[in-house]
Amino acid sequence: MASTPGGFAGKVLRVDLSTGRTSTEDTVERYADVLGGTGLGYRVLWDEVPAGTKPFDPANKLVFATGVLAGTSVPCSGRTAITTVFPSCWPRALVGSGHMGGQFAAKLKYAGYDAVILEGRAERPVWLFIRDGRVELRDAARLWGHGIRRATLEISQEMGADCCVAAIGQAGEKLAPLATVVNSLSHSAGGVGGVMGSKNLKAIGVQGSGGVRIAGDMEQWGRLVRFHLSILGANNQHVVPAFPSREAEYYNPGSRWVGEPGRRWGAAEPPVEITGSIRDMNRIAYRTNSAAFFLGERAWKHTVRGNGCTSCPVRCHTTLKVPAVAAKYGVRDTAQGTCIALNFGRFFFPTLPDGPKGQAALEACMLGMIMADDMGIWSNYGQLQRDFIKLFKDGVLKAKLGAAEYAAIPWDKWRAGDPAFLLDLVPRIGERRGELGFVLGEGVGGPFDRWGIAEETWEADHATTYWKMGHPKHHANEDDGQCGVIINTQYNRDAQCHSHTNFVRNGLPLHEQKRLAGEIWGSPDSVDAPGQYTPMNPHKARRAKWALLRKELHDCLGLCNWMGPWVASPLKERGYRGDNSLESRFYSLATGRALDREGLDEAGERVFTLHRALTIRDMGARDMRALHDRVPRWVYEDPKGAQPFTPGAIRMDRADMALAMDQFYALMGWDKDTGAPTREAYARLGLDDVGRELAAKGLVPGGKDGGQG
Amino acid sequence: MKRAVLVAVRASSRAGRLIGLADVRAAVLALAAESPDGPPDQAELTDERLAGLLAAHPGVAAFASVSGEALYHAPDLLSRTYARILDRRGSPALLMAEEIRANSRDYPRPVPVELFEAEPFGLSRADIEAALKTLAADPECADISFVESSGGAAFLFSERFLPRGYAQFLAERAESLAENP
Repeated sequence: MASTPGGFAGKVLRVDLSTGRTSTEDTVERYADVLGGTGLGYRVLWDEVPAGTKPFDPANKLVFATGVLAGTSVPCSGRTAITTVFPSCWPRALVGSGHMGGQFAAKLKYAGYDAVILEGRAERPVWLFIRDGRVELRDAARLWGHGIRRATLEISQEMGADCCVAAIGQAGEKLAPLATVVNSLSHSAGGVGGVMGSKNLKAIGVQGSGGVRIAGDMEQWGRLVRFHLSILGANNQHVVPAFPSREAEYYNPGSRWVGEPGRRWGAAEPPVEITGSIRDMNRIAYRTNSAAFFLGERAWKHTVRGNGCTSCPVRCHTTLKVPAVAAKYGVRDTAQGTCIALNFGRFFFPTLPDGPKGQAALEACMLGMIMADDMGIWSNYGQLQRDFIKLFKDGVLKAKLGAAEYAAIPWDKWRAGDPAFLLDLVPRIGERRGELGFVLGEGVGGPFDRWGIAEETWEADHATTYWKMGHPKHHANEDDGQCGVIINTQYNRDAQCHSHTNFVRNGLPLHEQKRLAGEIWGSPDSVDAPGQYTPMNPHKARRAKWALLRKELHDCLGLCNWMGPWVASPLKERGYRGDNSLESRFYSLATGRALDREGLDEAGERVFTLHRALTIRDMGARDMRALHDRVPRWVYEDPKGAQPFTPGAIRMDRADMALAMDQFYALMGWDKDTGAPTREAYARLGLDDVGRELAAKGLVPGGKDGGQG
Repeated sequence: MKRAVLVAVRASSRAGRLIGLADVRAAVLALAAESPDGPPDQAELTDERLAGLLAAHPGVAAFASVSGEALYHAPDLLSRTYARILDRRGSPALLMAEEIRANSRDYPRPVPVELFEAEPFGLSRADIEAALKTLAADPECADISFVESSGGAAFLFSERFLPRGYAQFLAERAESLAENP
């Protein structure tokens, strides 16, 4: 038997749901230059999905793709990217990807596959059985109409306990653009569940008995893994604890490193007390408690443990047990989640009786996690909740819902901050019941299209944090000035980029951040203190480009961009340096193909540019600067009239942002006027075929031939 | 002897304590009592000699405490920041003022009042109230001020390092981090 290539599992599985035919292709031969993950997904969409394909057309494809480092012992390497024509992108669906952690990526690789390409549409509900080389479509009639939890448990019973199930809930079945795919019960990929539903595919169960071969020296590999562990902080790579510690020179009350000796996981059986050194590599999992970060002190006594992804010691999916929710609301007493999914229920309420960290908030979080992760509802990074609140406050719901439907909604519970309100609202969305459930499940494009609300209304209201194209900002100017704004202009959904914010929020004092920034991006001026922004400079553009390319690179390699990059560390003895070359060092050892940092970053740039090309092709326009890279009005306004660059003002300056985009486009090798890649940029990145095709359509700067005759 | 003073400082830091010269001397003698060589000549254990040995050691840090006494610690076991907090714990007003200033200057950020209730500060609410009154009456501490976030939380900052408007922004931001995942 021939040995598999290092890092890659070696095969891509293709499943035609219309015919039931399955086939495989060689990953390295076909996709090595785009690495895997989103790169593989973009390549499939470019080659196989024609412009104008709608998300729920059988011609759309859904690409579950892991990366070279998934399934290995690299920390934080449990990610799967699911790429498709993204349904919540408004007013026109464009390429996008949802991302999930959990155990799916590793299991898929152990089964021998780097990716699964799903195409066509099954005649009736099915689920996909993958056990190593055995691939079958099985009947899902008994699962259809039921939640993700039931699908997961039933398939697990059928396959065995060591399988991993990625499933959709009712929201996906009913083609809600705001639907998730969820694996391992709480690890969700947003926006792609409806596409899976449109293919009549309820779930994928995967089980593998293989492994991932590391091509390089295993001793070197082991040393590098241990080094990576040594530079890890807590969730979001916060490298200082939230509390003063004997073992740390710095602390930051805003840090997600909340676990300290003396704290207890009170709902563990028996309860676990955190002891020992906060620096101990075998105790990294105690650093993070997402529930305590978001909900405060009371979460500790309800904490069972930290759950998380394969190979990740950070364990950001905190498992909570709250018996009161079982007694009061008749649901399970245990749930797990992190970040926006953990807050799904709480964020529907403008106010809660005992504040945002009180008992009602905790119960709302529990109900939200339990119901959203079962019905497979995506919050669109909290836009769903903000839309709901704004639609109510602006009187839109009263005006647009029928009188009977409006009257049937228990508004008194909502006003009172009673979590029981969620028992009414969430199933409406998941099952797309009534006008409210249908429209909210559409995403923000729902109210725009169906209720005639102008997008400008949302763009002008900072409280919505709406950015563009149906999605909100995701760590923009409030965190990182011009860098944050540039990053938020680039994708067709919320940016999901954490490269920049994980650095500015890492907890180190400003002088340390600036010192590191000088080393990494060429100038301390590439970083500002939050809300104390200085005018644009080329170093900030360089950092924005770095942040985007690392995000894309992580999405290709199976690494978690919620945790990385790892350019800062908790290690005083290293001057708080992390390692800007970590990804390329792992890639080189895993694959046996030596690529330095610049080389791997260039591969990330290739993938990012392919995303740009797909966007240009599918929009049928090359003027990205005017039509795509938009910035909402609220970014340029300050409620108190503060001027840009005054301390405490996050409003940006239009001329300065125009300069920022100029500088970013120049660094990318894109045309300044249109923000479209040039033929040279495509050629430099090995995307000449892409440049040629776009040039033939007049979608490259310089006219029909892209300036190349 | 060099090794003995280092052992003394590290043991103290490991236990979360600062150590002065008198305690270093006592520890050195205790260690020596267990040594086959017997105790060192007392004349060798002068403050100057001990301070010189400690100053020469790269793994030992020293600072002048609130009382004026030189205190020692091993920063890899007991950080400088933590050491300062321990030293000032007996003077809540000074402890709060200096911590507020350091946070405003270095990060920059205002700090929530509750910070001082938690360890290692360990102040009671009554202690904090009393300290804030002391600070308000002390012209040397006129820079210490507070802002209230829209959520009602009080944050303390130093006007020497943070303009009030910026402190207000940073307080709102600190409060909003749990709403901005």
